Amino acid sequence: MSMILYHGEPNGASLAVLAALGESGAEADCKAIDLLAGERHTIPGLTQAVARDMGVEGEGPVLVIDGEAMTESVFIAQFLDEAGANTLQPKDAYAHWQMLMWCRRVTERCAPAAAFLGCRAHARPSLDAAALGRIASPDLRARWEAVQAGDYPQAQVDDSLSKVRDTVKMVDDQLADDRDWLMGPLTIADFETFGWLVGMVDVVPDAFAGKDRAAAWMDRVRARPSVQAALARATVSAPQNSWAPGPEINRWG
Amino acid sequence: MNTVTLYHWEPNANSGKPMLALMEKGVAFDSHYIDMLNFDQHKPEYLAINPQGTIPAMTHGDRVLVESTAIMEYVNEEFDGPALMPADARARWRIRWWMKFMDQWLAPSFSMFGWKFFVGPNALAAHGQEKIEEQIARIPLPERQTAWRKAVFGLFSEQEMAESGRRISVGIRMLEEELGKREWLASDAYSLADVNGFNLAYAMPLSQPHLANDDLTPNIMRWLRAIYRRPATRDCWKLGRTPMASRVEILEQDYIPPKDESEGISSGVR
Repeated sequence: MSMILYHGEPNGASLAVLAALGESGAEADCKAIDLLAGERHTIPGLTQAVARDMGVEGEGPVLVIDGEAMTESVFIAQFLDEAGANTLQPKDAYAHWQMLMWCRRVTERCAPAAAFLGCRAHARPSLDAAALGRIASPDLRARWEAVQAGDYPQAQVDDSLSKVRDTVKMVDDQLADDRDWLMGPLTIADFETFGWLVGMVDVVPDAFAGKDRAAAWMDRVRARPSVQAALARATVSAPQNSWAPGPEINRWG
Repeated sequence: MNTVTLYHWEPNANSGKPMLALMEKGVAFDSHYIDMLNFDQHKPEYLAINPQGTIPAMTHGDRVLVESTAIMEYVNEEFDGPALMPADARARWRIRWWMKFMDQWLAPSFSMFGWKFFVGPNALAAHGQEKIEEQIARIPLPERQTAWRKAVFGLFSEQEMAESGRRISVGIRMLEEELGKREWLASDAYSLADVNGFNLAYAMPLSQPHLANDDLTPNIMRWLRAIYRRPATRDCWKLGRTPMASRVEILEQDYIPPKDESEGISSGVR
Protein backbone atom coordinates (compact mmCIF):
# COMPACT_ATOMS: atom_id res chain seq x y z
CA MET A 1 0.00 0.00 0.00
CA SER A 2 1.83 3.08 -1.19
CA MET A 3 0.62 6.47 -0.03
CA ILE A 4 1.17 9.83 -1.68
CA LEU A 5 0.37 12.96 0.32
CA TYR A 6 -0.26 15.98 -1.88
CA HIS A 7 0.05 19.04 0.33
CA GLY A 8 0.24 22.80 0.08
CA GLU A 9 2.72 25.03 1.92
CA PRO A 10 2.86 24.01 5.61
CA ASN A 11 -0.06 26.08 6.85
CA GLY A 12 -3.68 25.37 7.76
CA ALA A 13 -4.93 21.88 6.94
CA SER A 14 -1.71 20.93 5.12
CA LEU A 15 0.39 21.76 8.18
CA ALA A 16 -1.89 19.76 10.47
CA VAL A 17 -1.65 16.66 8.30
CA LEU A 18 2.11 16.93 7.70
CA ALA A 19 2.62 17.15 11.48
CA ALA A 20 0.33 14.17 12.12
CA LEU A 21 2.24 12.22 9.49
CA GLY A 22 5.49 12.96 11.29
CA GLU A 23 4.09 11.92 14.65
CA SER A 24 2.55 8.74 13.26
CA GLY A 25 5.72 7.34 11.74
CA ALA A 26 3.62 6.20 8.78
CA GLU A 27 5.41 6.30 5.45
CA ALA A 28 4.01 8.50 2.72
CA ASP A 29 5.58 10.06 -0.32
CA CYS A 30 5.04 13.81 0.21
CA LYS A 31 4.49 15.88 -2.91
CA ALA A 32 4.20 19.66 -2.60
CA ILE A 33 1.60 21.27 -4.85
CA ASP A 34 0.62 24.90 -5.38
CA LEU A 35 -2.92 25.03 -4.00
CA LEU A 36 -3.37 28.62 -5.14
CA ALA A 37 -2.56 27.59 -8.72
CA GLY A 38 -5.39 25.05 -8.61
CA GLU A 39 -2.98 22.10 -8.73
CA ARG A 40 -5.13 20.07 -6.34
CA HIS A 41 -7.59 19.71 -9.18
CA THR A 42 -5.05 18.16 -11.56
CA ILE A 43 -3.67 15.41 -9.30
CA PRO A 44 -2.87 12.47 -11.62
CA GLY A 45 -4.04 8.88 -11.34
CA LEU A 46 -7.20 9.32 -9.29
CA THR A 47 -9.74 6.57 -9.86
CA GLN A 48 -11.99 7.68 -6.97
CA ALA A 49 -12.01 11.47 -6.77
CA VAL A 50 -15.24 12.18 -4.91
CA ALA A 51 -13.52 13.21 -1.67
CA ARG A 52 -11.19 15.58 -3.55
CA ASP A 53 -14.06 17.00 -5.57
CA MET A 54 -16.69 17.35 -2.84
CA GLY A 55 -14.73 17.61 0.43
CA VAL A 56 -16.12 20.20 2.81
CA GLU A 57 -12.65 21.46 3.74
CA GLY A 58 -11.91 23.11 0.40
CA GLU A 59 -8.27 23.36 -0.69
CA GLY A 60 -6.74 21.01 1.88
CA PRO A 61 -4.23 18.18 1.48
CA VAL A 62 -5.10 15.01 -0.43
CA LEU A 63 -3.80 11.58 0.56
CA VAL A 64 -3.93 9.11 -2.32
CA ILE A 65 -3.97 5.35 -1.80
CA ASP A 66 -4.71 2.94 -4.67
CA GLY A 67 -6.17 5.82 -6.68
CA GLU A 68 -8.61 6.83 -3.94
CA ALA A 69 -8.39 10.49 -2.90
CA MET A 70 -8.72 10.98 0.87
CA THR A 71 -9.45 14.45 2.27
CA GLU A 72 -10.47 16.35 5.44
CA SER A 73 -7.42 17.03 7.57
CA VAL A 74 -8.77 15.67 10.86
CA PHE A 75 -9.80 12.40 9.24
CA ILE A 76 -6.51 12.03 7.33
CA ALA A 77 -4.70 12.64 10.62
CA GLN A 78 -6.85 9.98 12.31
CA PHE A 79 -6.11 7.57 9.47
CA LEU A 80 -2.34 8.17 9.65
CA ASP A 81 -2.43 7.78 13.42
CA GLU A 82 -4.41 4.55 13.25
CA ALA A 83 -2.23 3.17 10.46
CA GLY A 84 0.89 4.20 12.37
CA ALA A 85 1.98 4.82 15.96
CA ASN A 86 -1.58 5.31 17.26
CA THR A 87 -0.61 7.86 19.92
CA LEU A 88 -2.59 10.95 18.88
CA GLN A 89 -6.11 9.95 19.96
CA PRO A 90 -7.34 9.27 23.51
CA LYS A 91 -8.19 5.62 24.13
CA ASP A 92 -10.96 6.48 26.59
CA ALA A 93 -14.22 6.94 24.67
CA TYR A 94 -15.25 10.10 26.52
CA ALA A 95 -11.83 11.74 26.11
CA HIS A 96 -12.00 10.78 22.44
CA TRP A 97 -15.43 12.41 22.14
CA GLN A 98 -13.98 15.55 23.72
CA MET A 99 -11.16 15.59 21.17
CA LEU A 100 -13.58 15.09 18.28
CA MET A 101 -15.81 17.89 19.58
CA TRP A 102 -12.81 20.20 19.88
CA CYS A 103 -11.72 19.41 16.34
CA ARG A 104 -15.26 20.05 15.09
CA ARG A 105 -15.32 23.47 16.71
CA VAL A 106 -12.04 24.24 14.98
CA THR A 107 -12.98 22.88 11.55
CA GLU A 108 -16.53 24.28 11.55
CA ARG A 109 -15.95 27.68 13.13
CA CYS A 110 -12.27 28.61 13.11
CA ALA A 111 -11.16 27.08 9.79
CA PRO A 112 -13.71 28.85 7.53
CA ALA A 113 -12.96 32.12 9.31
CA ALA A 114 -9.17 31.72 9.12
CA ALA A 115 -9.26 30.70 5.45
CA PHE A 116 -11.53 33.67 4.66
CA LEU A 117 -9.32 36.19 6.50
CA GLY A 118 -6.08 34.57 5.31
CA CYS A 119 -7.20 34.73 1.69
CA ARG A 120 -8.34 38.32 2.17
CA ALA A 121 -4.91 39.30 3.48
CA HIS A 122 -2.65 37.24 1.26
CA ALA A 123 -4.23 35.22 -1.58
CA ARG A 124 -4.11 36.74 -5.08
CA PRO A 125 -4.87 33.82 -7.39
CA SER A 126 -5.44 34.17 -11.11
CA LEU A 127 -7.00 30.97 -12.36
CA ASP A 128 -8.22 31.16 -15.94
CA ALA A 129 -11.61 29.86 -17.05
CA ALA A 130 -10.22 26.41 -17.87
CA ALA A 131 -8.64 26.03 -14.43
CA LEU A 132 -11.80 27.23 -12.70
CA GLY A 133 -13.75 24.77 -14.82
CA ARG A 134 -11.72 21.90 -13.40
CA ILE A 135 -13.09 22.63 -9.91
CA ALA A 136 -15.91 20.10 -9.75
CA SER A 137 -17.93 21.61 -6.90
CA PRO A 138 -19.82 24.80 -7.85
CA ASP A 139 -19.84 26.05 -4.26
CA LEU A 140 -16.05 25.68 -3.94
CA ARG A 141 -15.69 27.33 -7.35
CA ALA A 142 -17.83 30.21 -6.10
CA ARG A 143 -15.45 30.68 -3.16
CA TRP A 144 -12.53 30.80 -5.61
CA GLU A 145 -14.32 33.39 -7.73
CA ALA A 146 -15.00 35.51 -4.65
CA VAL A 147 -11.31 35.38 -3.70
CA GLN A 148 -10.24 36.27 -7.24
CA ALA A 149 -12.69 39.18 -7.29
CA GLY A 150 -11.60 40.39 -3.86
CA ASP A 151 -15.20 40.01 -2.70
CA TYR A 152 -15.09 40.00 1.11
CA PRO A 153 -18.39 41.26 2.57
CA GLN A 154 -17.88 43.23 5.77
CA ALA A 155 -20.41 41.13 7.70
CA GLN A 156 -18.35 38.01 6.98
CA VAL A 157 -15.14 39.81 7.88
CA ASP A 158 -16.60 40.79 11.25
CA ASP A 159 -18.02 37.31 11.83
CA SER A 160 -14.70 35.70 10.93
CA LEU A 161 -12.72 38.02 13.19
CA SER A 162 -14.96 37.12 16.08
CA LYS A 163 -14.61 33.39 15.38
CA VAL A 164 -10.81 33.62 15.36
CA ARG A 165 -10.85 35.60 18.61
CA ASP A 166 -13.21 33.03 20.16
CA THR A 167 -10.90 30.19 19.15
CA VAL A 168 -7.80 31.80 20.66
CA LYS A 169 -9.74 32.45 23.86
CA MET A 170 -10.97 28.86 23.87
CA VAL A 171 -7.35 27.67 23.61
CA ASP A 172 -6.18 30.02 26.35
CA ASP A 173 -9.03 28.98 28.67
CA GLN A 174 -8.41 25.30 28.01
CA LEU A 175 -4.81 25.71 29.18
CA ALA A 176 -5.81 27.42 32.44
CA ASP A 177 -4.94 24.35 34.52
CA ASP A 178 -1.33 24.49 33.30
CA ARG A 179 -1.67 21.52 31.00
CA ASP A 180 0.83 21.32 28.16
CA TRP A 181 -1.55 20.19 25.44
CA LEU A 182 -5.17 20.98 24.67
CA MET A 183 -6.61 17.60 25.64
CA GLY A 184 -4.01 16.87 28.31
CA PRO A 185 -1.96 14.40 26.25
CA LEU A 186 -0.74 15.51 22.82
CA THR A 187 -3.46 14.82 20.22
CA ILE A 188 -4.61 15.65 16.70
CA ALA A 189 -6.46 18.61 18.25
CA ASP A 190 -3.13 20.37 18.93
CA PHE A 191 -1.99 20.13 15.32
CA GLU A 192 -5.36 20.96 13.78
CA THR A 193 -5.76 24.03 15.99
CA PHE A 194 -2.17 25.19 15.52
CA GLY A 195 -2.43 24.76 11.75
CA TRP A 196 -5.38 27.13 11.47
CA LEU A 197 -4.22 29.66 14.09
CA VAL A 198 -0.53 30.13 13.29
CA GLY A 199 -1.32 32.25 10.24
CA MET A 200 -3.78 34.37 12.20
CA VAL A 201 -1.13 35.81 14.56
CA ASP A 202 -0.30 38.58 12.08
CA VAL A 203 -3.78 38.85 10.52
CA VAL A 204 -5.77 39.22 13.78
CA PRO A 205 -3.08 40.33 16.27
CA ASP A 206 -5.57 41.56 18.86
CA ALA A 207 -6.94 38.01 19.22
CA PHE A 208 -3.62 36.95 20.72
CA ALA A 209 -2.98 40.01 22.92
CA GLY A 210 -2.59 38.95 26.55
CA LYS A 211 -3.17 35.29 25.68
CA ASP A 212 0.13 34.15 27.16
CA ARG A 213 -0.91 30.56 27.71
CA ALA A 214 -2.00 30.22 24.09
CA ALA A 215 1.26 31.79 22.92
CA ALA A 216 3.35 29.41 25.04
CA TRP A 217 1.31 26.47 23.72
CA MET A 218 1.96 27.59 20.14
CA ASP A 219 5.68 27.65 20.91
CA ARG A 220 5.46 24.11 22.28
CA VAL A 221 3.61 22.84 19.22
CA ARG A 222 6.04 24.62 16.90
CA ALA A 223 8.97 22.99 18.69
CA ARG A 224 7.73 19.45 18.00
CA PRO A 225 10.12 17.72 15.58
CA SER A 226 7.09 16.78 13.45
CA VAL A 227 6.10 20.42 13.08
CA GLN A 228 9.68 21.51 12.44
CA ALA A 229 9.95 18.87 9.72
CA ALA A 230 6.67 20.05 8.22
CA LEU A 231 7.77 23.70 8.26
CA ALA A 232 11.07 22.70 6.65
CA ARG A 233 9.05 21.62 3.59
CA ALA A 234 8.10 25.25 2.92
CA THR A 235 9.15 26.65 -0.44
CA VAL A 236 8.39 30.22 0.62
CA SER A 237 9.84 32.26 3.48
CA ALA A 238 6.53 32.80 5.29
CA PRO A 239 4.34 29.69 4.81
CA GLN A 240 1.87 30.98 7.40
CA ASN A 241 0.79 33.50 4.74
CA SER A 242 -0.09 30.78 2.21
CA TRP A 243 -3.87 30.51 1.95
CA ALA A 244 -6.33 29.15 -0.57
CA PRO A 245 -10.15 28.96 -0.50
CA GLY A 246 -11.19 26.88 2.50
CA PRO A 247 -14.40 25.53 4.03
CA GLU A 248 -17.60 27.45 3.44
CA ILE A 249 -19.13 29.54 6.17
CA ASN A 250 -22.18 27.74 7.62
CA ARG A 251 -25.26 28.49 5.48
CA TRP A 252 -27.55 28.45 8.53
CA GLY A 253 -25.47 31.06 10.37
CA MET B 1 -25.12 4.26 38.31
CA ASN B 2 -24.00 4.21 34.73
CA THR B 3 -27.38 4.46 33.13
CA VAL B 4 -27.76 5.96 29.70
CA THR B 5 -30.40 8.60 29.07
CA LEU B 6 -31.08 9.95 25.61
CA TYR B 7 -32.93 13.20 25.09
CA HIS B 8 -34.31 13.08 21.57
CA TRP B 9 -37.07 14.17 19.24
CA GLU B 10 -38.43 11.98 16.43
CA PRO B 11 -36.37 9.10 14.99
CA ASN B 12 -35.23 11.34 12.17
CA ALA B 13 -32.09 13.29 11.24
CA ASN B 14 -29.97 14.19 14.25
CA SER B 15 -32.15 12.64 16.96
CA GLY B 16 -32.45 9.35 15.10
CA LYS B 17 -28.69 8.84 14.77
CA PRO B 18 -27.85 8.08 18.42
CA MET B 19 -31.24 6.35 18.90
CA LEU B 20 -30.49 3.87 16.13
CA ALA B 21 -26.83 3.47 17.13
CA LEU B 22 -27.82 2.60 20.71
CA MET B 23 -30.39 0.10 19.47
CA GLU B 24 -27.95 -1.52 17.04
CA LYS B 25 -25.47 -1.90 19.89
CA GLY B 26 -28.15 -3.35 22.15
CA VAL B 27 -27.61 -0.66 24.79
CA ALA B 28 -30.60 -0.14 27.08
CA PHE B 29 -31.39 3.54 27.59
CA ASP B 30 -33.97 5.79 29.17
CA SER B 31 -35.76 7.60 26.39
CA HIS B 32 -36.75 11.23 27.03
CA TYR B 33 -38.86 12.57 24.19
CA ILE B 34 -38.23 16.28 23.69
CA ASP B 35 -41.04 17.83 21.67
CA MET B 36 -39.03 20.21 19.55
CA LEU B 37 -42.12 21.89 18.09
CA ASN B 38 -43.37 22.53 21.62
CA PHE B 39 -39.94 24.11 22.26
CA ASP B 40 -39.18 21.68 25.11
CA GLN B 41 -35.50 22.19 24.30
CA HIS B 42 -35.63 25.79 25.54
CA LYS B 43 -37.24 24.91 28.87
CA PRO B 44 -35.19 25.20 32.05
CA GLU B 45 -35.33 21.48 32.85
CA TYR B 46 -33.68 20.63 29.52
CA LEU B 47 -31.24 23.56 29.59
CA ALA B 48 -30.06 22.18 32.94
CA ILE B 49 -28.96 19.05 31.02
CA ASN B 50 -27.72 20.75 27.84
CA PRO B 51 -27.25 24.53 28.18
CA GLN B 52 -26.88 24.82 24.40
CA GLY B 53 -30.50 23.75 23.97
CA THR B 54 -29.64 21.46 21.07
CA ILE B 55 -31.18 18.04 20.49
CA PRO B 56 -30.12 15.29 20.93
CA ALA B 57 -28.13 15.04 24.14
CA MET B 58 -27.09 11.94 26.01
CA THR B 59 -26.04 11.37 29.59
CA HIS B 60 -24.03 8.35 30.65
CA GLY B 61 -23.52 8.40 34.40
CA ASP B 62 -22.31 11.94 35.04
CA ARG B 63 -21.07 12.44 31.50
CA VAL B 64 -23.05 14.72 29.19
CA LEU B 65 -22.61 14.33 25.45
CA VAL B 66 -23.95 16.41 22.56
CA GLU B 67 -23.70 16.42 18.73
CA SER B 68 -25.32 13.40 17.14
CA THR B 69 -22.45 12.02 15.06
CA ALA B 70 -19.92 12.43 17.88
CA ILE B 71 -22.37 10.75 20.28
CA MET B 72 -22.60 7.80 17.88
CA GLU B 73 -18.81 7.40 17.87
CA TYR B 74 -18.87 7.44 21.68
CA VAL B 75 -21.64 4.83 21.79
CA ASN B 76 -19.73 2.58 19.44
CA GLU B 77 -16.47 2.85 21.40
CA GLU B 78 -17.88 2.74 24.92
CA PHE B 79 -20.28 -0.19 24.76
CA ASP B 80 -20.10 -3.85 23.88
CA GLY B 81 -22.22 -5.12 21.05
CA PRO B 82 -21.75 -5.27 17.29
CA ALA B 83 -18.96 -3.02 16.00
CA LEU B 84 -20.32 -0.12 13.97
CA MET B 85 -16.84 0.93 12.85
CA PRO B 86 -14.65 -1.61 11.02
CA ALA B 87 -11.06 -2.49 11.94
CA ASP B 88 -9.68 -1.22 8.64
CA ALA B 89 -8.35 2.34 9.05
CA ARG B 90 -9.11 3.36 5.48
CA ALA B 91 -12.74 2.24 5.79
CA ARG B 92 -12.98 4.23 9.03
CA TRP B 93 -11.67 7.28 7.17
CA ARG B 94 -14.34 6.79 4.49
CA ILE B 95 -17.09 6.48 7.11
CA ARG B 96 -15.98 9.72 8.78
CA TRP B 97 -15.73 11.50 5.41
CA TRP B 98 -19.28 10.56 4.41
CA MET B 99 -20.69 11.46 7.80
CA LYS B 100 -19.12 14.95 7.64
CA PHE B 101 -20.27 15.41 4.06
CA MET B 102 -23.81 14.47 5.01
CA ASP B 103 -23.84 16.42 8.29
CA GLN B 104 -22.39 19.64 6.94
CA TRP B 105 -23.09 19.80 3.23
CA LEU B 106 -26.11 17.69 2.43
CA ALA B 107 -28.28 17.52 5.57
CA PRO B 108 -28.71 21.30 5.96
CA SER B 109 -30.21 21.36 2.46
CA PHE B 110 -32.60 18.51 3.23
CA SER B 111 -33.42 20.29 6.45
CA MET B 112 -34.32 23.51 4.62
CA PHE B 113 -36.74 21.62 2.37
CA GLY B 114 -38.04 19.60 5.31
CA TRP B 115 -38.87 22.71 7.33
CA LYS B 116 -40.35 24.56 4.37
CA PHE B 117 -42.69 21.83 3.18
CA PHE B 118 -43.23 19.50 6.14
CA VAL B 119 -42.07 20.42 9.64
CA GLY B 120 -43.06 24.09 9.49
CA PRO B 121 -46.60 23.53 8.15
CA ASN B 122 -47.12 20.62 10.59
CA ALA B 123 -45.94 22.74 13.50
CA LEU B 124 -48.33 25.51 12.53
CA ALA B 125 -51.20 23.04 12.21
CA ALA B 126 -50.44 21.43 15.56
CA HIS B 127 -49.74 24.49 17.68
CA GLY B 128 -51.06 27.55 15.86
CA GLN B 129 -49.16 30.65 14.84
CA GLU B 130 -49.87 32.60 18.03
CA LYS B 131 -48.49 29.97 20.37
CA ILE B 132 -45.41 29.45 18.23
CA GLU B 133 -44.73 33.20 18.13
CA GLU B 134 -44.97 33.25 21.94
CA GLN B 135 -42.55 30.36 22.28
CA ILE B 136 -40.06 31.92 19.87
CA ALA B 137 -40.23 35.23 21.73
CA ARG B 138 -39.00 33.42 24.86
CA ILE B 139 -35.75 32.22 23.22
CA PRO B 140 -32.98 34.31 24.79
CA LEU B 141 -30.69 34.87 21.79
CA PRO B 142 -32.13 37.17 19.08
CA GLU B 143 -30.28 35.35 16.27
CA ARG B 144 -31.78 32.04 17.40
CA GLN B 145 -35.22 33.69 17.34
CA THR B 146 -34.56 34.76 13.76
CA ALA B 147 -33.41 31.27 12.77
CA TRP B 148 -36.52 29.69 14.33
CA ARG B 149 -38.90 32.12 12.62
CA LYS B 150 -37.16 31.42 9.34
CA ALA B 151 -37.51 27.66 9.85
CA VAL B 152 -41.06 27.46 11.20
CA PHE B 153 -42.56 29.99 8.80
CA GLY B 154 -40.48 28.88 5.81
CA LEU B 155 -38.88 32.28 5.24
CA PHE B 156 -36.04 31.02 3.03
CA SER B 157 -34.96 33.08 0.04
CA GLU B 158 -35.43 31.73 -3.47
CA GLN B 159 -31.66 31.63 -3.82
CA GLU B 160 -31.29 29.56 -0.64
CA MET B 161 -33.96 27.10 -1.75
CA ALA B 162 -32.41 26.81 -5.21
CA GLU B 163 -28.98 26.08 -3.78
CA SER B 164 -30.45 23.52 -1.37
CA GLY B 165 -32.31 21.91 -4.25
CA ARG B 166 -29.08 21.69 -6.24
CA ARG B 167 -27.28 20.07 -3.33
CA ILE B 168 -30.05 17.53 -2.76
CA SER B 169 -29.89 16.54 -6.40
CA VAL B 170 -26.08 16.25 -6.39
CA GLY B 171 -26.06 14.45 -3.04
CA ILE B 172 -28.58 11.82 -4.18
CA ARG B 173 -26.50 11.19 -7.31
CA MET B 174 -23.36 10.79 -5.17
CA LEU B 175 -25.07 8.38 -2.77
CA GLU B 176 -26.35 6.29 -5.69
CA GLU B 177 -22.88 6.10 -7.21
CA GLU B 178 -21.20 5.21 -3.93
CA LEU B 179 -23.76 2.52 -3.14
CA GLY B 180 -23.02 1.03 -6.54
CA LYS B 181 -19.49 0.30 -5.32
CA ARG B 182 -20.36 -1.82 -2.28
CA GLU B 183 -23.23 -3.16 -0.19
CA TRP B 184 -23.06 -0.42 2.45
CA LEU B 185 -22.30 3.26 2.06
CA ALA B 186 -18.68 3.55 3.16
CA SER B 187 -17.42 0.10 4.14
CA ASP B 188 -18.06 -3.58 3.50
CA ALA B 189 -19.89 -3.95 6.82
CA TYR B 190 -22.88 -2.01 8.19
CA SER B 191 -21.49 1.06 9.95
CA LEU B 192 -22.22 4.43 11.53
CA ALA B 193 -22.25 5.91 8.01
CA ASP B 194 -25.32 3.79 7.22
CA VAL B 195 -27.01 4.75 10.50
CA ASN B 196 -26.31 8.40 9.68
CA GLY B 197 -27.32 8.09 6.04
CA PHE B 198 -30.59 6.31 6.75
CA ASN B 199 -31.67 9.10 9.09
CA LEU B 200 -31.00 11.58 6.32
CA ALA B 201 -32.42 9.60 3.42
CA TYR B 202 -35.23 7.27 4.55
CA ALA B 203 -38.03 9.55 3.37
CA MET B 204 -36.41 10.56 0.08
CA PRO B 205 -38.73 8.38 -2.05
CA LEU B 206 -41.60 10.48 -0.64
CA SER B 207 -40.00 13.88 -0.46
CA GLN B 208 -37.91 13.66 -3.65
CA PRO B 209 -39.97 11.25 -5.79
CA HIS B 210 -38.46 12.64 -9.00
CA LEU B 211 -34.89 11.98 -7.81
CA ALA B 212 -35.05 8.89 -5.57
CA ASN B 213 -37.03 5.86 -6.76
CA ASP B 214 -36.53 2.30 -8.00
CA ASP B 215 -35.94 3.34 -11.60
CA LEU B 216 -33.43 6.14 -11.06
CA THR B 217 -31.67 5.08 -7.85
CA PRO B 218 -31.89 1.29 -7.46
CA ASN B 219 -28.83 1.15 -5.21
CA ILE B 220 -30.22 3.73 -2.79
CA MET B 221 -33.55 1.86 -2.67
CA ARG B 222 -31.82 -1.50 -2.05
CA TRP B 223 -29.80 0.12 0.77
CA LEU B 224 -32.76 1.88 2.40
CA ARG B 225 -34.87 -1.30 2.38
CA ALA B 226 -31.98 -3.36 3.81
CA ILE B 227 -31.62 -0.94 6.72
CA TYR B 228 -35.40 -0.77 7.21
CA ARG B 229 -35.50 -4.57 7.56
CA ARG B 230 -33.09 -4.53 10.51
CA PRO B 231 -34.80 -5.18 13.87
CA ALA B 232 -33.08 -2.20 15.47
CA THR B 233 -34.50 0.11 12.80
CA ARG B 234 -38.02 -1.26 13.36
CA ASP B 235 -37.72 -0.74 17.12
CA CYS B 236 -36.25 2.71 16.71
CA TRP B 237 -38.94 4.07 14.42
CA LYS B 238 -41.61 2.80 16.84
CA LEU B 239 -40.48 5.59 19.17
CA GLY B 240 -41.78 8.17 16.71
CA ARG B 241 -44.92 10.05 17.71
CA THR B 242 -45.72 12.16 14.65
CA PRO B 243 -46.41 11.63 10.93
CA MET B 244 -42.75 12.40 10.35
CA ALA B 245 -41.57 9.01 11.59
CA SER B 246 -44.33 7.04 9.88
CA ARG B 247 -42.99 8.20 6.50
CA VAL B 248 -40.57 5.28 6.87
CA GLU B 249 -43.42 2.92 5.88
CA ILE B 250 -42.91 3.91 2.25
CA LEU B 251 -40.04 1.42 2.33
CA GLU B 252 -42.52 -1.46 2.69
CA GLN B 253 -43.43 -0.98 -0.97
CA ASP B 254 -41.54 -3.35 -3.26
CA TYR B 255 -41.46 -0.94 -6.15
CA ILE B 256 -41.57 2.83 -6.03
CA PRO B 257 -41.91 4.45 -9.46
CA PRO B 258 -40.70 7.93 -10.33
CA LYS B 259 -43.20 10.70 -9.69
CA ASP B 260 -43.29 14.34 -10.54
CA GLU B 261 -41.41 16.75 -8.28
CA SER B 262 -44.70 18.44 -7.39
CA GLU B 263 -46.01 15.23 -5.79
CA GLY B 264 -43.31 15.48 -3.15
CA ILE B 265 -44.53 18.97 -2.33
CA SER B 266 -48.26 18.46 -2.74
CA SER B 267 -48.29 15.32 -0.58
CA GLY B 268 -47.19 17.56 2.25
CA VAL B 269 -44.40 15.21 3.13
CA ARG B 270 -41.54 16.82 1.34
